[in-house]
Amino acid sequence: MAQTVSPQRTFPVSRKAREGFLTNLALIVITMMALLPILTTVLISFKREEDVTRKPPIIFPCDTPTAKIDLTACRWSIEGYERVALLMPEANALLGFALKGRMLNTYLPNTVLYAISTALIVMVLASMSGYAFSRYRFRGHDALMIVIIAITGVPLLTNLLALYQMGASIRHAAEGIYNDRVFIIFVYCGFYLPMSVWIAKGFFDSIPRELEEAALIDGCSPVGSLVRIVAPLITPGLTAIFLLAFVGVWNEFIAGYLLITKNDLKPAMFGMYDFLGQNIINAQVVAAACIIIALPMVLIFLIARQNFFRAMVEGAIKG
Amino acid sequence: MNQPATAPLLGGFGPKKAKPRRRIDLLPFILILPTILVLLAIQVYPALYTIVLSVQEREQTGWEFVGLQNFEILFDSAALGESAGHTVVYLMGYASLTLMLAFFIALLLNRKSHLSGVYITLLFIPWILADIIAGVVFRLLVLPDYGLFSGFLQNPALFPPRGLSVLTADAAKPWIGNFPFPPSPAMVYLILAASWRALPFITLLLLAALQTISNEVIESSRIDGANTWQTIRHITIPLILPTMVVALFNLTLGGINGVGMVFSLTGGGPGTSTHVLSYFLYSIGWVSLDFGRAAALAVILAVINLTLIAGTLRITRVQHRSA
Repeated sequence: MAQTVSPQRTFPVSRKAREGFLTNLALIVITMMALLPILTTVLISFKREEDVTRKPPIIFPCDTPTAKIDLTACRWSIEGYERVALLMPEANALLGFALKGRMLNTYLPNTVLYAISTALIVMVLASMSGYAFSRYRFRGHDALMIVIIAITGVPLLTNLLALYQMGASIRHAAEGIYNDRVFIIFVYCGFYLPMSVWIAKGFFDSIPRELEEAALIDGCSPVGSLVRIVAPLITPGLTAIFLLAFVGVWNEFIAGYLLITKNDLKPAMFGMYDFLGQNIINAQVVAAACIIIALPMVLIFLIARQNFFRAMVEGAIKG
Repeated sequence: MNQPATAPLLGGFGPKKAKPRRRIDLLPFILILPTILVLLAIQVYPALYTIVLSVQEREQTGWEFVGLQNFEILFDSAALGESAGHTVVYLMGYASLTLMLAFFIALLLNRKSHLSGVYITLLFIPWILADIIAGVVFRLLVLPDYGLFSGFLQNPALFPPRGLSVLTADAAKPWIGNFPFPPSPAMVYLILAASWRALPFITLLLLAALQTISNEVIESSRIDGANTWQTIRHITIPLILPTMVVALFNLTLGGINGVGMVFSLTGGGPGTSTHVLSYFLYSIGWVSLDFGRAAALAVILAVINLTLIAGTLRITRVQHRSA
């Protein structure tokens, strides 16, 4: 904005200032266009049913019989959110109310559980092996790294058939022990580990080993130097690995949909897909569900964006 | 990245007594073991099991070995050719559109502006959304009759003869044989939605590459009289070409394997006009319950994926050596 030309200026604008202005203008237009679908979804989520089923559709629910847009007559509503939550009075519930909407009382808690468990396990395992790959040379070191990166080439989609059969046979063989939740968390771990190991190795590589050597010379054990010296320096990297796995699992659909047998254990993305089938014309309800599921991710991203960018460049360019 | 193979365990310690070295030697393996076990169970074993499944057929008595019959049936079916055609159209549209837009935006962002950080953050929001959510968001926009864009698109004056209902309109007659080109409006819209979601990441990749080009190179070409377009064409593009190829592979991989958006945006329809290979795999596996044939398709897709990953690795390695 600093480059905008004030109307009082009479002398010719330099080429550089004009280019800067045009660049900013173009970027503002592009950003607006990129955000347009999201903004319209937010808009829809705050409309009433009679306003989302208008023909022809209206953008703002603010028209009156006399005026096309009357800002004082806008009919904003949270009907969509209410219908997702289905907050019902219930005597035994904690606050006297209970969430009856399956999205909020079943699917979303499932997603939170899967995402946090997977991200924690992936973070711990990836940092362990990332450290080993970064600091030690051993027989098969390079071959293993190549195998791990090659594994990222096997997509979740093509492994699903075998995983589905595996799940079915484990369930059959160990009826009492088998647990959909444990199984899906394992599957997610297997899918976020390879990339995470590479990212972790990259982060460990960037910490000078002289620091550790100094600690070792001062009498610290290798494990002690890992905990005392490396761990504090690697925290941003570990945060990034945690976040990438967390967002990945949160957003995952097809494995949660196909590998989990009980509907009560399925994640929010399945809930969303299911929802879409039930609410063919209730766009405000669907939009509200979208916002509820996506908002936590957008907030996490806005708060921790530097972590994301670093990990992505690390994973994509070096990996 | 690679130290000489003779470097001792923690580097720089010089020759060491044999005893402590043996003790340390086990640590890396202990650290790696859990990862290896998880990968064996969730990645390697299922991959091999898929290959086994692909040469079997489920009979009433259990699984039976049928050799390459699944592959033969698959290749004989018209549905495979059809969804392969859809995938090719989808990938070409998706990859080229995303790459061109991302390059343009990266060039703009590379001109250091005070607000670059703000733009990058805002532009990245679509990337954080799940493919299912992105599909729903785009679906709401063109919902027949009620979607915000439908009022405009279904106007017969603008789209004769009857207006355009994106999610239900049929594709035009194919130009060449059965190859699904020109694509149906739903396919075009699917490509737009997928590009929208992939754009931020590819932009970031290209921007990172652009920032490694030193200003002097650009300046000297300016002094030699090159205009902006010539500089981009002869200096910038050749310098970031490896990253562009990596981005292209990345897009292709994402395009082949991404299925969520097809589920939530079009559901494969109208008709079969957005049946891409990934959706086809789902439908023979879980709708027709023909696991042998689905496994055969999975094997084919996995081979394509591995080839692309190998290509990406090769290029990034070359990049590393020359850097």
